[in-house]
Amino acid sequence: MRTKALARMVLASCLVLSVCLSKAYCDEAWRAEFDDACAKTMDAMALSMDELKALIGKCERLQKIVEQQDETVRKVYLKRLQMCKNLYAYVLEAKSGEKPRE
Amino acid sequence: MRRALFVVLVLFVGVGFAWASGTKKRKLPPNEFGSVTINNYSQQSGMPPVVFDHWVHRQHFTCRICHVDIGFGMTAGATKVRAVDNMKGYYCGTCHNGRMNVNNKKVFEACAKEFSKEEYNRCVKCHALERDTAKEEEFYRFADNMPKERLGNGINWEKAEEEGLIKPLDQLEGVSIMKAKLKVQQDFSLKAKVEGMPDIIFSHKKHTVWNGCELCHPEIFIGIKMGTTKYSMVELFDGKYCGVCHDKVAFPQTDCQRCHTKPV
Repeated sequence: MRTKALARMVLASCLVLSVCLSKAYCDEAWRAEFDDACAKTMDAMALSMDELKALIGKCERLQKIVEQQDETVRKVYLKRLQMCKNLYAYVLEAKSGEKPRE
Repeated sequence: MRRALFVVLVLFVGVGFAWASGTKKRKLPPNEFGSVTINNYSQQSGMPPVVFDHWVHRQHFTCRICHVDIGFGMTAGATKVRAVDNMKGYYCGTCHNGRMNVNNKKVFEACAKEFSKEEYNRCVKCHALERDTAKEEEFYRFADNMPKERLGNGINWEKAEEEGLIKPLDQLEGVSIMKAKLKVQQDFSLKAKVEGMPDIIFSHKKHTVWNGCELCHPEIFIGIKMGTTKYSMVELFDGKYCGVCHDKVAFPQTDCQRCHTKPV
């Protein structure tokens, strides 16, 4: 009887722990992805058009995840994400030889 | 009687015009140049507005850290920072967390849910509109050791960094993304519109060292090809383009020789 209760407790703890860890892991994962997506702003001019397009796509995917975060995180990271995405789009526009927006 | 009415009418119209066109800007004393008053939520919460001094912060950090990595907007009040954001460790709370050290000095913690009378002294370090003579003295002590500048807050910040008098941090652990060193774009010249005025030499190097790329492009300067963003001094003085920083924090645009530098 006692062993059963103990086993249940262990199982419940494992479940709680896994839920917590998975949330922490997800949190870590999107932040790592954010760092990766926005790390190339300093050499944006040296990137190829395909690389720029891939980075813009990454930013757009991340935007959906960031929009689900709490208000403060959302505010900070959407602004940061927007800045790097806009820069990539700006460089891409220049490289594609399109007429500038002005 | 009619004459008196006419005079009153003229005065009324004159005052109306003066009010509509805005009064002449007060020339700020050096210690107040670059100060930004933020009052999105402070007064609603019974606190004085926040007065943010750029000179205090820019001696330690580049513009990029705050306006790119931390996410502060480029206009006063645009970010709508709340006390709760700071307490969570974002915005001001990124550094003002009671743990960070700058020059072996602990950076005081920003904001609190509840505070005692003693702790109120900490609140008024930022939430203050009254003249703070101690802060003024601190500014002049600091400025005394810096290379001089004619306008703005009288400090040539660029020279101060060149001479190693300030060493602004460009990366904050846990906040900034580690990036490759920037390959600096070439300087270029822009034709002055007024005859006799030397052309402008725009230095990408000087600007990117503190700002990176995304602070200016595309939000402030949209056109990527030289000459595609057309602007006039009127727009600049109106706070657009260069005027987003110059006049407010960086040296004023009335210091013509700082930009119009191309030898004639």
